[in-house]
Amino acid sequence: MERHQNRYNSILLITLLKYYFLKETRTPRNNVVVHRRRKSKSYRLSYRSGLGAADSRLGWSPALTARRLNTSRKAAGISNIAERVDPGQLALLVKTEWQLSYVTPLHQFRHTQLKSYARQLSAFIAAGKQQGLAVEVEGLQTTFRVSFSLVQGMTQSDEDAESVLVQIHSKRLFARQDEPQKPVWSGWLTCINGNPDYLRALPKDFVCLPLFGCSGADGLSALVKSWFQQSFDCCFGLLEISHTSLQWLMALWTNCHAESGIQHLKMIWTLPAAPPLQVTYTVDPEDAWELWSSVRKGKGGGGGGEEEEEAGENYIDIEEVTSFMQGLKSHFYRHFRLDLSAGSLNQVSTALGSAKYSGRMKISNSRYMITTLTLLTECALLKMPI
Amino acid sequence: MDDSAKRLLQRLMRRIPTPTLRSALEKWGRLTTEQQKSMDFTQSKWALTERLLGICEENELAVKQLTDLEMIHVIDNPDQGMWYAFQLMDPEDDAKSVDLTQFKEQFKSHLRELVRNVSIKMKKHTDEAVWIRIAWGDTFSRPNHLKPTYIVHYLQTPYVFVTSITSKQKPLLSQALVLSTRYQAIKDANLSGRKLTAIRDLLMKKYQQVFPTKYPIPPPENNQTISTFVLLFIDQHIEKEQAELAANRLQMACEAFGGGMLPQLQSAVYKLETKFRDHSNKTMTEREEPFRCVVKFTSTNLLESFRHCASSGIASTPVTPLLSCIPLKGRNYFLITDNGPGPSSQRGQPQV
Repeated sequence: MERHQNRYNSILLITLLKYYFLKETRTPRNNVVVHRRRKSKSYRLSYRSGLGAADSRLGWSPALTARRLNTSRKAAGISNIAERVDPGQLALLVKTEWQLSYVTPLHQFRHTQLKSYARQLSAFIAAGKQQGLAVEVEGLQTTFRVSFSLVQGMTQSDEDAESVLVQIHSKRLFARQDEPQKPVWSGWLTCINGNPDYLRALPKDFVCLPLFGCSGADGLSALVKSWFQQSFDCCFGLLEISHTSLQWLMALWTNCHAESGIQHLKMIWTLPAAPPLQVTYTVDPEDAWELWSSVRKGKGGGGGGEEEEEAGENYIDIEEVTSFMQGLKSHFYRHFRLDLSAGSLNQVSTALGSAKYSGRMKISNSRYMITTLTLLTECALLKMPI
Repeated sequence: MDDSAKRLLQRLMRRIPTPTLRSALEKWGRLTTEQQKSMDFTQSKWALTERLLGICEENELAVKQLTDLEMIHVIDNPDQGMWYAFQLMDPEDDAKSVDLTQFKEQFKSHLRELVRNVSIKMKKHTDEAVWIRIAWGDTFSRPNHLKPTYIVHYLQTPYVFVTSITSKQKPLLSQALVLSTRYQAIKDANLSGRKLTAIRDLLMKKYQQVFPTKYPIPPPENNQTISTFVLLFIDQHIEKEQAELAANRLQMACEAFGGGMLPQLQSAVYKLETKFRDHSNKTMTEREEPFRCVVKFTSTNLLESFRHCASSGIASTPVTPLLSCIPLKGRNYFLITDNGPGPSSQRGQPQV
């Protein structure tokens, strides 16, 4: 009798375990959330055989794919980006809200062939329009003029590829020559401070520009992405800015308050009540700065920011970032007895920029563009399927 | 019809959506049956406006009659625009005995004394509410009917709700109200919102109140289907304990926010200027200046969200006075400082 009981128990246990494991593998895993740490890597290859054939040559080591977001990063120093990048291009990049995606490495992309790419994309869009793909047109006679330009001066290391800016202008049939044409769609590809091990391990034919931002009609975005996918055998995916990355942006921006006032630190949380409760938590900039300085482990900060932070020595650790966030949450809890951790952080914004969980991002001040883009490049690289 | 009347009519037609237009015109009663029938409500707004303009010219209607139509529309659709609540303070002895006629006469005469050119329209609605429409002018100009102020006052209560008023007009209105209602002062109730019905119900407590009782509200039916495998392992004691805790939370949530349907308040703003106190952060705790921040809560039904937070455990129970103050005091703007309670401030939380 006892033996039957034991056997029954063990069968039950096995069935239980199988149920849970099967359940886990049955749930579709598409986007890997950045802060989930995975020991085993069984990512699905979601692009075509072009890259698959190269797989054998890549020789990925487990260390590369077990990457996590950096736990420590350089504090934003004064960046002389305004001197290095063409101001016209810089003006196009700031003050617009971009929808971010990650892109897998581009096969046989040549920075020297930009004019030819512009022509090809133009033809592709015209063909797409003819086929009746959803493109918002101002009039039936609208044609599109595409331009690809090189944005020089943004790269930070030797491994970074030069950034590319894509713009689509609509050509009205009877437009005057001197009318300044605002692009109806813009997008850019960039790689700032990309992980050097990853970049060096890529085969020669591939160019890595993992971060893609676009702004404009959805139909045009889809067309541009499919042209890239077709021409360079790459894959696009939505880049969600995770909770950790949003916290990093908060800390990095607050850290700049001494040099350029952030004017406010605003966080938008959503709590899962029925109906959903939105909490907009705006902190006075001076107080945010003081709180941030108090959690920095005895490095700089305080004294009204008279000391310049020496580039290369001032690093921010993840613990400081989490303490900062914890301080803000506990102040909130002390008053409302509502735990913000029960909800999700949707948006962070200061006068320097804003970032949303859905992957929308805006940079309002070009001085801190490099730091923000470094963080986002890292997020994009972590999303690479292999 | 003169220009100002035409403009008023056009503005009205832009404001009134077509579905409600038919009933508004019927209530207005200025159209003959044939004219009413001749209005084709399937046409575009522009066409309807033209037709109505023609009818008004036929009937020789002027601004006075058009303002009636506007008032009818606003009374039937009060949940638009931003409404601000005010409270009258320190009643005189005869404040309670002010009746409708007296109030109307007094208000009109006092306001006309204060403002040279003003157009006042008063109407009593079914639920004891007096609706007042004011078009402001001054010594040199005629009343501006394109930017009227609407006021709702519930007789026998000290509550007044106002929409679309400028800071210059406010003291004039306050003076007239105070004198005509036989109170001594009027103050800002720190309550505002888009839905008049919501802020009125909140302020006048027209929703189900829940009081502490020996018999708590039973928890809602548990709809979750528990996997048969897991059921084998659930201890009945744990289930009972959790149910008791849930019932407790629900009771406290309802005591704080009310039971049943709650007024659809949509936002609450807290301006916090309290000191930062956290054991783990010495530097900030020792700081003298307050930590300034502004917290805004928004939801399609704020009180419902809060009640759900409290009953599900997202908010710790007992509910903090900061949140339960919203229904208790009927306000949704708070300035919280560390000092004792003042006219518009509240005591900060004691150190945990």
